[in-house]
Amino acid sequence: MENVSYQRFPTVRIRDMKDDVMKFELRDTDASVANALRRIMIAEVPTLAIDLVEIETNSSVLNDEFLAHRLGLIPLISDRAMEMRLSRDCDACDGDGRCDFCSIEFHLNVKCTSEQTLDVTSHDLQSSDPDVVPVDSAGRQADVSGFDPPEHRGILIVKLRKGQELKLRAIARKGIGKDHAKWSPAATVTFQYEPDIHINETLMESLSLDEKREWVESSPTKVFELDPISQQVVVVDPEAYTYDEEVIKKAEAMGKPGLVEIYSKEDSFIFTVESTGAIKASQMFINAIEILKSKLDAVRLAFDTEEADDQFGELGAHMRGGGM
Amino acid sequence: MKKKKVKKKIIDNVNNRQQTHQPLCIREMEFPIKSTVDKYQLLPAFLKVRGLVKQHIDSFNYFINCEIKKIIHATGNEKVTSDVDPNFYLKYLDIFVGEPCVEQDYIYEPITPHQCRLRDMTYAAPISVDVEYTRGREIVVRRGKEGKQEGALVIGRMPLMLRSCRCVLSGKNEAQLAKAGECPLDPGGYFVVKGTEKVILIQEQLSKNRIIIDTDSSGNVAASVTSSTHERKSKTNIIVKHERIFLRHNTFSDDVPIVVVLKAMGMESDQEIVQMVGRDPKYAGILAPSLQECSALGIHTQQQALEYLGVKKLLSCLYTGLLGVLQVDEARDILATVVLAHVPVHQFEFRPKCIYIAVIIRKMLEAMLNTDAVDDKDYVGNKRLELAGQLLALLFEDLFKRMNGELKKSVDMTLAKANRSTQFDIAKCIRPDFLSNGLEHAISSGNWTVKRFKMDRKGVTQVVSRLSFIAALGHMTRITSQFEKTRKVSGPRALQPSQWGMLCPCDTPEGEACGLVKNLALMTHVTTDEEEGPLIALCTTLGVEDLSMLSGEELHSQHTYIVFFNGIILGVHRRPQRFAETLRKLRRAGKIGEFVSIHVNPGQHSIHIASDGGRVCRPLVIADNGVSRIKEHHMKELKDGFRTFDDFLREGLVEYLDVNEENNSLIALYEADATPATTHIEIEPFTILGVCAGLIPYPHHNQSPRNTYQCAMGKQAMGNIAYNQLHRIDTLLYLLVYPQRPLLTTKTIELVGYDKLGAGQNATVAVMSYSGYDIEDAIVMNKASLDRGFGRCIVLKKSVTALKKYNNRTADRIVAPDMNTSAKGGVQVAPRHQIQDRDGIAAVGEMIRPGDIYINKQSPINTRDNVMNPQAMPDSAYKRTPQTYKGPPGECAVVDKVLLTSNDENHFIVKCLIRHTRRPEVGDKFSSRHGQKGVCGTIVQQEDFPFSERGICPDLIMNPHGFPSRMTVGKMIELLGGKAGVMSGRFHYGSAFGEPSGHADTVSAISETLVNHGFSYSGKDFIYSGITGYPLQAYIFMGPVYYQKLKHMVLDKMHARARGPRVVLTRQPTEGRSREGGLRLGEMERDCLIAYGASMMILERLMISSDQFQIQVCTKCGMMGYYNHKLKIALCTYCKSGENMATMKLPYACKLLFQELQSMNILPRLQLSEA
Repeated sequence: MENVSYQRFPTVRIRDMKDDVMKFELRDTDASVANALRRIMIAEVPTLAIDLVEIETNSSVLNDEFLAHRLGLIPLISDRAMEMRLSRDCDACDGDGRCDFCSIEFHLNVKCTSEQTLDVTSHDLQSSDPDVVPVDSAGRQADVSGFDPPEHRGILIVKLRKGQELKLRAIARKGIGKDHAKWSPAATVTFQYEPDIHINETLMESLSLDEKREWVESSPTKVFELDPISQQVVVVDPEAYTYDEEVIKKAEAMGKPGLVEIYSKEDSFIFTVESTGAIKASQMFINAIEILKSKLDAVRLAFDTEEADDQFGELGAHMRGGGM
Repeated sequence: MKKKKVKKKIIDNVNNRQQTHQPLCIREMEFPIKSTVDKYQLLPAFLKVRGLVKQHIDSFNYFINCEIKKIIHATGNEKVTSDVDPNFYLKYLDIFVGEPCVEQDYIYEPITPHQCRLRDMTYAAPISVDVEYTRGREIVVRRGKEGKQEGALVIGRMPLMLRSCRCVLSGKNEAQLAKAGECPLDPGGYFVVKGTEKVILIQEQLSKNRIIIDTDSSGNVAASVTSSTHERKSKTNIIVKHERIFLRHNTFSDDVPIVVVLKAMGMESDQEIVQMVGRDPKYAGILAPSLQECSALGIHTQQQALEYLGVKKLLSCLYTGLLGVLQVDEARDILATVVLAHVPVHQFEFRPKCIYIAVIIRKMLEAMLNTDAVDDKDYVGNKRLELAGQLLALLFEDLFKRMNGELKKSVDMTLAKANRSTQFDIAKCIRPDFLSNGLEHAISSGNWTVKRFKMDRKGVTQVVSRLSFIAALGHMTRITSQFEKTRKVSGPRALQPSQWGMLCPCDTPEGEACGLVKNLALMTHVTTDEEEGPLIALCTTLGVEDLSMLSGEELHSQHTYIVFFNGIILGVHRRPQRFAETLRKLRRAGKIGEFVSIHVNPGQHSIHIASDGGRVCRPLVIADNGVSRIKEHHMKELKDGFRTFDDFLREGLVEYLDVNEENNSLIALYEADATPATTHIEIEPFTILGVCAGLIPYPHHNQSPRNTYQCAMGKQAMGNIAYNQLHRIDTLLYLLVYPQRPLLTTKTIELVGYDKLGAGQNATVAVMSYSGYDIEDAIVMNKASLDRGFGRCIVLKKSVTALKKYNNRTADRIVAPDMNTSAKGGVQVAPRHQIQDRDGIAAVGEMIRPGDIYINKQSPINTRDNVMNPQAMPDSAYKRTPQTYKGPPGECAVVDKVLLTSNDENHFIVKCLIRHTRRPEVGDKFSSRHGQKGVCGTIVQQEDFPFSERGICPDLIMNPHGFPSRMTVGKMIELLGGKAGVMSGRFHYGSAFGEPSGHADTVSAISETLVNHGFSYSGKDFIYSGITGYPLQAYIFMGPVYYQKLKHMVLDKMHARARGPRVVLTRQPTEGRSREGGLRLGEMERDCLIAYGASMMILERLMISSDQFQIQVCTKCGMMGYYNHKLKIALCTYCKSGENMATMKLPYACKLLFQELQSMNILPRLQLSEA
């Protein structure tokens, strides 16, 4: 048993890939791997977010902390985040966030002079680095559809009335979602087990057309369909199945247990990854794998030192920390 | 009584439906469909004209416009005369309360309520009077012009109720209100006194001037009448003792036989008495012992009876001292004016009063024969609500009388002087301070003392609770009872059936005030007094036969009904139903006041007409033969704005019914339930709930105490207080950073404006067990949600500093921050002063930590003796009295606002507002809207949280054990409806009892919406564990629920101490969190340790860690000595030697006791043995 290898070769098949949304299948692997990737995407893929705000003038209705919190939650384009340094590990500065390795400076200087309410949006944030700017998904879409007028783009920070002014300096830093949700690049990361649906054809044929229709409609999601020509029940979208067991219950209620059998495939997962826009959804996945690898490396290295800690027994593992 | 029938009918309907489920649908179709008009639109229209606090404002307006005029014109108030100079007089012609303003340097400036709040002033208006008085020989008339103060005499300042007719805010639109710094959603109805908002609570009392038949402690029947007129208040009891009837009144030293009283009033013949009470033998039999007693006393004539009463009357009565008045006359006077004072007696014509007493006796005899006739004291129809106007009127009258008394005294004093240098002008003697201070002090302290009526009430006013918008609104509708809270009687606390629709059945506090403090329902109105004269005249023209023409026989004949008008007997009527109908018709036509109530009581053969103030009433739709008068086109006109609620009233479609008149009507809940006998139809069933209970979605699905809990908790929820919340400087203000509008709303929420000023957030809740940190109602929260602003709140605390001016013309001052010279010679701001500006006051926006000085104040050392030059005193004449910030250690707050202003007394005040933003932490309290409170048990990372395949991850997890015992089904429906609302993009409704009328979405409709959006109909989702990635074993009930963050937060409560301050006297640790006190090892804990035998532990806890002290004891004399540090030996002062000294340790409190005993000549001696 010592040298049995559990190595598997997972495959990824991309179904749909846009900048902010990606759908893919992950096959031939375990729930632990799928979940590890999900967890890393949410909590450990680094991004940039405003972390420090120095307010010079604020005569808006929102108070300073309120504004700082809102600024922090604005997603910034963080393609550079992977190679940047965490501000606390930065050698160039003493972590006071004034160097190019770990920080980006933003300036906001707005004053309302007209009678109309002025919307201060993420567009008003002036970045010191042209690569690190607030995400503008509305703007991107507007380019395509021309739906939003340009002045309404961007993420709203605060509204100003005549005479109100806002002047501040903000510093964005690298961080991970574990520390604060503002550093999480993931809007949604979720997976589901692929369902395996088997219809018992002989039992199904014993149903009348109305019964078939009734059975098909008992599913809240559109998994099955009644073929109008052949009058046969076919599975159209197995993934729409939400494991609600409605159809199974219905079959039992109709007196036909075993009409359909649904299992989940234990080794294939359908991922849906949606990004905040800070990094592309695909990049987020790649970064997650990268981070997972580096964590595994850390475990491998720790293994060598583990013998020395043996005297502590289980405590040793705790002392080294379960995570990194 | 009749209401029960309606309910019964509904139940029958339900039963029918259950039994014949299918066929009914067909049968229903056969019937002609009664048009069910959606009458909901009436509610917003009603609230638009009436508002939620209209009762307060109406009452105050009535006081200011009418009552106050009646007071000054009342006999005894109108004229001030002098005993010295018979020619002198001062006559009040008119009184007028002006516009709110403040006098500053002899200039009157208008003020707004918000200015008063900020500047700690009183929002008040001058009371000016038109007077006529003599100055020397001439008669002077001072009259104001067209309601202006000029020319008139100002006698004081009246605190104004916000939004009353004299308030600057009345009739303003939203923009104008905003300009005045006021929130348009604020209801008004309170006062601003010395900068604090005070509400005069509605007081509940037993009706005045009504006969109440009750049983006393021994089970005997007793009648009591509390008479109340402007001149006098008195309570008259008629009791049964040893089968005889007596009158008990506190002007008589003893109970007096009732027959004697009747004889004293001129009803000398026994036959007449019996006739008056009723000739029926069953009555006569009970009455006989009383009659016999009278003849046994030998009283047969009026003269004899009066002599008897003259002896019985208390000595300390009205005319003591005035010689020459016969006792007989006194007795007659008492009977005329004090006993049953509200029954008018003109020139000793006692007949009406005799009949009144006879009617009381008849009622009592009836009650003796039939216990059902005993009145219920808790019946809402026997209650009157006393509002701000009435209470202020009482106070004002008393103060006005006292002011006139003072005025008379000073007039007498001045006029008594022989030669005066100047002409005496009384106008200069009036001190407006007396009235102003009296009113202001009463409202700000809540102590209502009117010596004349022996009234001494405490806690009449309360500071308006501004914890949340709903708390303030709920405060305005609160009713307190005059019953003492300690008594353990259940009667007054129980829910009365007659409260239906008038008082909220849910909203009452728990604990000692339970059931005694109530709240008005949504549509309730409290009446104000109405003119009596025209109504009495109308009654007479409608065929009421006058009392004076009737014999006893006619009074009680089978077909005549006695007509009572506000408790006074007017006469009798032979066709009572017709009379009542005519009066009601006149009321519906608007010929008499809309709040006049006509109640026919067939059991007692009486008609009660009431126009007095303080009755609760509510609007109902009138139905003719079971068909509603409101038709579709009426509602359409209302919707289009052609019609107002008042039009409905005027046209007789809707009318107000008070509790008594409700008993003459048959009210159907819905038009469909109406029968031909139905007289009225409810407008909307959910209006039986009040403001606080109206926030609960689906309250009719909850266990009833849960709704009561929520009513209490809704007042503690944080959220938005008002639109002007950021301009307010309150002592303590809790705000939510991102308040939301509930996804599942009710109609009440929209009506009161809770959707605009919400106090909570829609959290996605998963009902499941997670981590074990969720037992006992604890909730597990998602860290990412908290990061994104869920439950984040702002706490604003005020601190005021007044710069005092002292009698020796010195004053406090604020100086620039202290400077320290550093070692290098540079000058720096001292460490605790860094947040100050150069003026010595903290700069706005600075972070402030505990210990920081935010106002660098100094006070003069000498505040008594005269100082030569108070403006230029040397620095050495001041001592530092800086204002230091005390907050939770380690937390950093921000100076939000600094206000420099001056108050009423021209003192310079500095108000600092300090802001602290908090995110939820473990131990903070949250609650849903169903009385389900819980603390945050743990905060979990988002990746560890469960998720659905759609990617939905809950904000918080609630333990399912919260449901079975609480039975809050409403919460489950809220979750379901919230989920459907999110998916369909439509706010769902959950108004109370709203399903039949479409004001609440049904579960089946919600389930259908859910299924249409691909969810399970049950609201349960298939969920994966965030820790393992495996699916959970069960489907999880998940969806959005409106959660409130309550004001109880750990940061304000957590406390621990290792070492710390001690009390000076005993040297024991201090007590309480605010003093950083120790945690007491109490008596019971000590008992445990003793029982366990942990003696060293006791020693350590009770002495070593507390107040251990070392003393020197002389073993010879047993007294305490001292240690001489110079000689380095212990000495005994008694033995004068250092021998035989021993050292021992004992609690300092013990040593203190010994010394205290010594000081009172008790000498405790310590006898030591070798340890």
